Amino acid sequence: MFRKILIANRGEIALRILRACRTLGIESVVAYSEADRESLPVQLADEAICIGPADARRSYLSAPAVISAAIVTGCDAIHPGYGFLSEDEGFAEVVRAHDLTFIGPPANILERFSNKESTRRLLGSLGLPTIPGSNGILRDDEHALSEGERIGYPLLIKPAAGGGGKGMRMVRTPRELEASLNVCRSEARAAFGDDSLYLESWLDETRHVEVQIAVDRYGRGVHLGERDCSVQRRHQKILEEGPTPALGPEARNDLCMRAIRAIVSAGYENVGTLEFLVDRDGNFFFIEINSRIQVEHPVTEMLTGIDLVATQIRIAAGEPLGFSQTDVITRGHAIEFRINAEDPEREFRPAAGVVERYLAPGGPGVRMDSHLFAGYEVPPFYDSLLGKLIVWGPDRATAIARSRVALDEMLIEGLATNISIHEALLTNETFLEGRWTTNLLDRVGSAAFLAAASRG
Amino acid sequence: MSADRRRAAPETADTGGEPAAARSESDRLADHAEIDRLTDDLVPALIAKLSATGLGEIEVGEGSWTVRVRRPADATGSHSRRSTDRSSRSQPGHGGHGHAPGAFEGHRPMTGAATGSSNGSSPGVAAAGSTRGDGDGHRSVATSPAVGIFQPRPEVRSGTRVRSGDRLGAVDMLGVPQEVVAPADGIVGATLVEPGEAVEYGQELIVIELAARSGDASRTAERSEA
Repeated sequence: MFRKILIANRGEIALRILRACRTLGIESVVAYSEADRESLPVQLADEAICIGPADARRSYLSAPAVISAAIVTGCDAIHPGYGFLSEDEGFAEVVRAHDLTFIGPPANILERFSNKESTRRLLGSLGLPTIPGSNGILRDDEHALSEGERIGYPLLIKPAAGGGGKGMRMVRTPRELEASLNVCRSEARAAFGDDSLYLESWLDETRHVEVQIAVDRYGRGVHLGERDCSVQRRHQKILEEGPTPALGPEARNDLCMRAIRAIVSAGYENVGTLEFLVDRDGNFFFIEINSRIQVEHPVTEMLTGIDLVATQIRIAAGEPLGFSQTDVITRGHAIEFRINAEDPEREFRPAAGVVERYLAPGGPGVRMDSHLFAGYEVPPFYDSLLGKLIVWGPDRATAIARSRVALDEMLIEGLATNISIHEALLTNETFLEGRWTTNLLDRVGSAAFLAAASRG
Repeated sequence: MSADRRRAAPETADTGGEPAAARSESDRLADHAEIDRLTDDLVPALIAKLSATGLGEIEVGEGSWTVRVRRPADATGSHSRRSTDRSSRSQPGHGGHGHAPGAFEGHRPMTGAATGSSNGSSPGVAAAGSTRGDGDGHRSVATSPAVGIFQPRPEVRSGTRVRSGDRLGAVDMLGVPQEVVAPADGIVGATLVEPGEAVEYGQELIVIELAARSGDASRTAERSEA
């Protein structure tokens, strides 16, 4: 096991990793930028070290600064959290070259899964359904048009190196396809440094369902159930829940078992998430894999009682998983609400400022993962996540009832938050009936959605 | 490759990262949203591309923004797997809690007004050294531009006269020396960190007694050397 871990992240996830380290009896060092000097993880840290200025490129995104900090503080491993350097195979490789351990999949495995198009083909060949699409990367316009003809319209153009919905475009006709290819190529080149594209059939009215998996170095793996992340705004998840209301128990088990079998066969290691689209008829299609700890991991922790961050650290240290599929028992229903410093009244613009008052909610099944405290100044340099409220109940209705109470109790004064959109969701019939789809909020429009909820 | 990140895109939208009290909040927020997007999406991709190719510089324009990523001339290929870096880990005094006593601890939070610079750094401006008054206005302090191992230049001793921008030493970050420079004209006073000791970003390293009071400064220098 590791002796001392460098936590190379900030905010609530730095705190979450710090807590996991303490639980495991491992010392830790919080690496922070100048803008986070007074943040809660730095205050609570065993030890903290400033690695650079507010600008993330020279602090949290700087591989040399992070690795140098780990070396001078005597750490033997680096936890990258999510975002920043967490899925950067180049970083993982340099960490390894300095005889440190990257807490995540080894660099060669990260590299194997870094290309979405080849990952899709690999897992497709191992028994996971994928969305009908082009045979490999599009060679040229002519190849794109013939593949488009074969697959059928509408189609989604996707960059192979992409992520987060960037550089994707839906096209309805061959003419639109032809007109969009060059734009997509240059967007992909600018965003990912790689302009390879592929095509997928466009599915309307889908749900986003993802399977949490954990595989140790010895090829022993389990799934830990799924999460439904269909409530999104412009491809950003804002609420996640499990189990998914979209599928029955048998279909969920089928999805999760097929996911874990395929990913173990593919040689994956450590925790990860396989993302699927689920159509109206309950058919599921693999889209991509996330190789980091995810923002929404607490949903699974509440359902299974398994500490995913501790599991991730143990696997990276070479320990065997220590439990089998039959030990993973999912109970009840859990919902996570991302509390962001965003102003719903002003097109969800990010807000910054001093938290004047803060009160975390409590009660049965209520968990608040947040780095807030009264007097904390939210810096404007990073993402807008202030914390996550996770609520568990023995069933979905109870979880929703407890969530209403908890959201009502939560007090964050001094800057705008998105709490109102969560309150609106909990009064919305489509959500309450479990029929939400990924594009619903954008189609209705967030402002119209909030206005309708306040009238209702 | 990753050494390049350190100085990635110095020209990128740096005005948006400043506190910019004079600008309206909405402009500032819009800038930050844009910077976040560029930082999250575009810049890492450009850096990856730069690393993958042999190019020295990549520039892309988009809307009103231009982002240029340039490979530092001295850092090309500097990120080889250096076994020498390991030695610093086993250096006496850097293991466990005992390392750099008072150094990192001294920079722990909640120091109130003393850390007025915490949110005010401008992204993209190299922090090779900065001035920090000690309250009486007679001194300035050269600070660490990086996290790493401090090595002063042997010829820079207390009592040495220096000019603003002179090299006082370097902080070795994974084998790449980051220069520590004099923040002002004056005379070198106390060196606050031993050679070979680990330092964090922004840590105070060498006191410069300002030129105007050189008489006092040299006396201080003698004392600190004793």
